Amino acid sequence: MIQIENASRWFGQVIGVNDVTHTIEPGVTALLGMNGAGKSTLLRLITGQIQPTTGSIKVFGNEPFANPEVYKRMGYCPEIDQFYEHKTGRQFVNYLARLAGMSAAEAKTRTDEVLHEVGMADRADKKLAGYSKGMRQRIKLAQAILHDPDIILLDEPLNGLDPVGRREFMSYLHTLAERGKTILVSSHILFEVEQMTKSIMLLHRGRLLAAGDVSLIREYIDKYPHRVRIETPQPREVAAKLIQLPYVLKVEFDEWRGGIELQTRELNQFFAFLPTLTTEENFTITGFSSPDNNLESIFHYLIE
Amino acid sequence: MSNIKPIADLSYRNYDGPLKKPGSRWWVIAKNGIRIALKKKALWGLMFVSAWYYLVMLVVLFFVQQITSSNPAGAQAMKAFMERLVWPDQFLHGFSYAQLPMLIIALMLGAGSIANDNRANAMLVYLSKPCDKREYLFGKWIGIALPILVIMVVPTIIFYAYGALTFREYGFLKDAWLLPKMLVIIPIAAIFHASIVVGISSMFNQARNASATYAGIYFITNFFTLLMGGIWASSRGETPFPVKHLFYASIDGVLIGACKAIIGTKGSAPFGIQSQGGMSQVPAPAVVPILGVALLISVVFVLIAWRKIRAVEVIG
Amino acid sequence: MAHENSSGVLSYARLVTVARISNLTVRYGNFTALDDLSCEIPEGCTGLLGPNGAGKTTLLKTILGFVNPTSGEGTVMDKDIRTDGMAIRQLIGLMPEQDCHIPGMTAVGFVSYAGELSGMPPAEALRRAHEVLEYCGLGEARYRNVETYSTGMKQRIKLAQALVHGPKLLLLDEPTNGLDPRGREEMLDLVRSVSHGRGVNVIVSSHLLPDIERVCDRVIVVIKGKLRTAGTIKDLKKLAGQPADVELREPNVAFANMLMEKGLTVTPPKGNIYRVQSELPPEELLRVVQRTALESGAQVRGFETAVRTLEEVFLEALTA
Repeated sequence: MIQIENASRWFGQVIGVNDVTHTIEPGVTALLGMNGAGKSTLLRLITGQIQPTTGSIKVFGNEPFANPEVYKRMGYCPEIDQFYEHKTGRQFVNYLARLAGMSAAEAKTRTDEVLHEVGMADRADKKLAGYSKGMRQRIKLAQAILHDPDIILLDEPLNGLDPVGRREFMSYLHTLAERGKTILVSSHILFEVEQMTKSIMLLHRGRLLAAGDVSLIREYIDKYPHRVRIETPQPREVAAKLIQLPYVLKVEFDEWRGGIELQTRELNQFFAFLPTLTTEENFTITGFSSPDNNLESIFHYLIE
Repeated sequence: MSNIKPIADLSYRNYDGPLKKPGSRWWVIAKNGIRIALKKKALWGLMFVSAWYYLVMLVVLFFVQQITSSNPAGAQAMKAFMERLVWPDQFLHGFSYAQLPMLIIALMLGAGSIANDNRANAMLVYLSKPCDKREYLFGKWIGIALPILVIMVVPTIIFYAYGALTFREYGFLKDAWLLPKMLVIIPIAAIFHASIVVGISSMFNQARNASATYAGIYFITNFFTLLMGGIWASSRGETPFPVKHLFYASIDGVLIGACKAIIGTKGSAPFGIQSQGGMSQVPAPAVVPILGVALLISVVFVLIAWRKIRAVEVIG
Repeated sequence: MAHENSSGVLSYARLVTVARISNLTVRYGNFTALDDLSCEIPEGCTGLLGPNGAGKTTLLKTILGFVNPTSGEGTVMDKDIRTDGMAIRQLIGLMPEQDCHIPGMTAVGFVSYAGELSGMPPAEALRRAHEVLEYCGLGEARYRNVETYSTGMKQRIKLAQALVHGPKLLLLDEPTNGLDPRGREEMLDLVRSVSHGRGVNVIVSSHLLPDIERVCDRVIVVIKGKLRTAGTIKDLKKLAGQPADVELREPNVAFANMLMEKGLTVTPPKGNIYRVQSELPPEELLRVVQRTALESGAQVRGFETAVRTLEEVFLEALTA
């Protein structure tokens, strides 16, 4: 769908994207990174607003830069929200539908359809100037899916939506993904990305730091020990026992919440051993968990 | 001293020091406006430009006096010159010729005063503090009016002092109320400029748009005044009734008219040159109506600003 | 303030009320923004939740003393919201949602000006501005013009200007808006540290429920201008019967079946997480689970008392 090969882009001496190679397949892919990591530059490269300085980007096998054939099959929801504030949401979307080359009648029906799909059908006749941030996001999404594109690029689309809106938005993205669309979403909010997709691209200072399935990425990062939290009323006894295991690197007592937190290099062996504490040695343990298996900790491991 | 620990705690601590009661925030805002104004170097230059008539007159009078006192034959010439010179009119000219620089000063101080705040959403900061719309607007207004007032008053007083010390025998003190009268009209001019510029500034969120608007109003109305003055002068004051009143229908006109009315002169040509019945001699309007118009315009523009500053919309 | 009693357990019996709203109705024309709303906001950190247009903003405005209620009354720190707006705002710091600053100023100039606007004497305001900027992590950038700041720094300076006069109540409207993961973490840590043990009470309005969960002790949920739910996050998240979530390394059907044979209730797994309900205390339940896992060849990777997420709590309140 989208093939990026050794793409780099400089702005004068400032580097936006540095030697990125990746193929984005149909389905939802999340684009992660800190502010200034190059997410927006990458999106602008894919949408053909700028050209890569070196390397190449192919969308459906074509270069996207200044290529209307590619634009016809691509929808883009930018991060900035600047509209014609005096127009209503419906007029704005309708206007863009006409710009996309639809006939007046076609534009009208299609506008009604997409406004309905993004849940704005009943509110689209107010002036854009009076819209909340969430409503603006919906209008931006509406114009991105207007021409039923195969590739949809969304830059921070969830900003300003309330929890209900977020949920609707995500389930809508899944519907689109099931229809075989390729969706690339940039986001700051990791717990949301987790709910959206397992497939990520992580940019850091312009470089592609990791790409692929979250759990696979986690398995690759074995140089970092995994953390395990154990809830117990006998922290020191349990700790004394566990510290003897060769693959346990460190044990800490959590003074604030109680219990202990330890680090181990061999998660498998550790969890194979743990039942002996409760079933054979009669320690009292009320709970345990490994807080590392979420996107947030992967993110931190990778960029630090 | 038991409460001194070897290691200080530098994390967040509360502020429990004094807090002034609400009600004096306008002065904080005005002070800030003045501080920003004083940082602009162009302002200092404009101060001299705005006093140019007084400065030129000081030089002229000084040399006239030097020449005549060293040359007895010149005493006669001096007497003629002094007789032509209408003292109150010198203040009228000083005041009138300061208006264009005053416009520029008002724009420098005031065009951005509310417009920039609109752009930066600063109202959210102001109004979430114990500072309401009244104090905000008054503070901004004082921050413009006060510098204008000072810039206009200082050269007037200096010129008056020079005249009062040197030209008493030439009838300088004939009107004992001249200075108090000037000290009435100058604050009115400061109020007028500050009010208009605050009102216009509140309608925009870019200082330059506000500047362009005020300057546009100023020059267009001024052109109208010149037109009326031209008609009046070419007909030697014999034109139909409204022309000599419409002469004052401009930013400058209102203030000059008010000045003429207060100091009680019909005007004369500048620098005491031979009068040719030009438009500088359009008769003064009546005091009460012209002051009424000046104050009305000021109030209208302040009300515009009042309407544009929205306190309730402070969040979301 | 929560007082620790002799047994070391926190007791909330002596909680002081920061804001009390009773039967408040606010109408704008025909639109009812708040509808007979009553709530109490105690000391500590409270999250304010609600969908867009539910009246959160109006409630914040009310607390700031900006709203002229149609009926009802309210007090903030014993001051009447209808008449004492000025006195209230002197005790409150607001961090608005939108970007805002005062143009043409350095960070120090801006924050000390904000302090003077709150009534601090100029010298104190300047001293305190340096202190607060240092605290908000802007120490290095304090002589820079605010207009050159990045998104993260602008959020910090908004917090700094809200804190400068030492408010007793801090209102934060979407404080993590536009921040990247590190920025958001730092902001949340900052909020948490002022709100716990420093005598600053905080109300956070946010759409990001995990953020609320990180910094707040309690939440109130406002829907359609009415108070729908209020309470501590801990209580709201509790599930009836206190089931446990068991995470296996990979899904294992035999494990679930064997548990059910032992008389435990097991709900169908979500991924590799099984929810198990029983009468046993957690440590006994864990023993049963561990034994069953050994018998069925499963590996237990996690065992925790199951709770609802705050999102579930919120969505439930919304549909109730």
